[in-house]
Amino acid sequence: MPAPALSISHLRKVYARGTVAVEDISLTVPEGEFFAFLGPNGAGKSTTIHCITGIAEPTAGKIEIFGIDAVKDYREARRLVGLCPQEFNVDPFATPRQIVDWMGGYFGMAAKARKERTDMLMERFELILHQKKQFRELSGGLKRRVVLARALIHDPKLIILDEPTAGVDVELRRVLWRYLAEINKDGKTILLTSHYLEEVERLCRQIAIVNKGLVVREGTKDEMVGEPGGLEQAYLVATGAQADHVAAE
Amino acid sequence: MEANTPMGTNWIGLYTIVRREVSRMMRVPIQVFVAPWISGLLFIFIFGHVVGGRITEIGGHRYLEFVLPGIVMMNVVNAAFLQSSSAIYFSRFIKFIEETLVAPLSYAEMIAGSLSVVVLRASVTGFGIMLMGLFFDATHVASWPLFLFWIVSVSAVFGLLGIIVGLWSKSFEQLNMPVVFFLTPLSMMGGVFNTVGMLPDWLRWLAWANPFYYFINGLRGAMIGFDETPPGLGVGLTVLLLVALGATVWRLYAKGYGLRQ
Repeated sequence: MPAPALSISHLRKVYARGTVAVEDISLTVPEGEFFAFLGPNGAGKSTTIHCITGIAEPTAGKIEIFGIDAVKDYREARRLVGLCPQEFNVDPFATPRQIVDWMGGYFGMAAKARKERTDMLMERFELILHQKKQFRELSGGLKRRVVLARALIHDPKLIILDEPTAGVDVELRRVLWRYLAEINKDGKTILLTSHYLEEVERLCRQIAIVNKGLVVREGTKDEMVGEPGGLEQAYLVATGAQADHVAAE
Repeated sequence: MEANTPMGTNWIGLYTIVRREVSRMMRVPIQVFVAPWISGLLFIFIFGHVVGGRITEIGGHRYLEFVLPGIVMMNVVNAAFLQSSSAIYFSRFIKFIEETLVAPLSYAEMIAGSLSVVVLRASVTGFGIMLMGLFFDATHVASWPLFLFWIVSVSAVFGLLGIIVGLWSKSFEQLNMPVVFFLTPLSMMGGVFNTVGMLPDWLRWLAWANPFYYFINGLRGAMIGFDETPPGLGVGLTVLLLVALGATVWRLYAKGYGLRQ
């Protein structure tokens, strides 16, 4: 049986000042899945992602990416992951082309492979006209495309998208949805966090809902959408929030 | 995607750190290179040429030849420290340091990449000032191996110190504190313009306790063969500092201090 794309077992993260960001999270994302990782702000989603990708050090627990320990064998594990973070963690004076090319370099890609892949991504995300501008000069939507292209430069098997469509206009959101659906169809595993439940309904097949650092509900999208009140109601009940308009219905 | 990692080292990743930092440096060439060259030229002209014309030879060397190694060393130290401290701090401040954290790069590769750029910037700064010294017939190199040792090792010492400060700083104010309170006073007091014999007795201990005194004398010895310090002491001290600071930086990276959440 092949190793899952992502396996998290009893992850706990306590920050230096004692804040418990992740209490105890365990979940498994099979290869090829389009997996939604939902929860309110401060639930521990981004911290979990930071622990998976090496931005944060887990306090306890185990993370495996395609069976490879993400802490002990971090070099091998990181080659398999591409991260599109929530914040623009980018040198604002660099150009989109440099940003994408440098990321390929950090992943050890040779110059020829980097150039080919960067050319393809610039074209795919319609960045050709903007590839030599400084990142700070770009609109929010263009910045989001650059960060997504950067996450894909080394052709990762597991793609982690932390609110990739936040602040993006409707048109671009649809372009990104189409592209994400395509790469998932090509066999890439995607872990997505989002506050847009419409996006989750459209793209994902499996859903985990976290609250206060714990997984409070896990299941298929079809199962949650099929419940009275749909995914929104399932989400609100799982996170302990009862919105007035839902309660009134 | 196949990665080029002969012998387990991510050479392309390391080289990319260098490429990125060189690109960042070249966005502000006046600040990075022209400013220290102009300051070096002013030091050469005023202290070496104008004031120096009234000072007799020191150890058989013109005063300008005597001060030039100190001027070069002061600028090498500043360039090295500013390069690594600002690179680390800026990348933490803007958070693009996360690009290297999520990549398959080891601590050693990250540190080696940063130090390579430090040595490059400090060397270009130093050689630029030496080139200006040529116009005043003041640039000499008595021993190239020793000269390179001092430029590279002192750059690395202050590059490592800059990394520590860059990781520790929480504001631009803190980032500049070591330059104002440590680097500038100690380099000025480290024998750039005078021998220890020119100082009053009660001040000499201050020179002997100042590491810059050994760096400047070491480079002076490599350039004009005039070195006041006991043989080997400066080299030993520099190697010791390299090992101690290198181990500290390694430990900070391993702990994720200032890097990982």
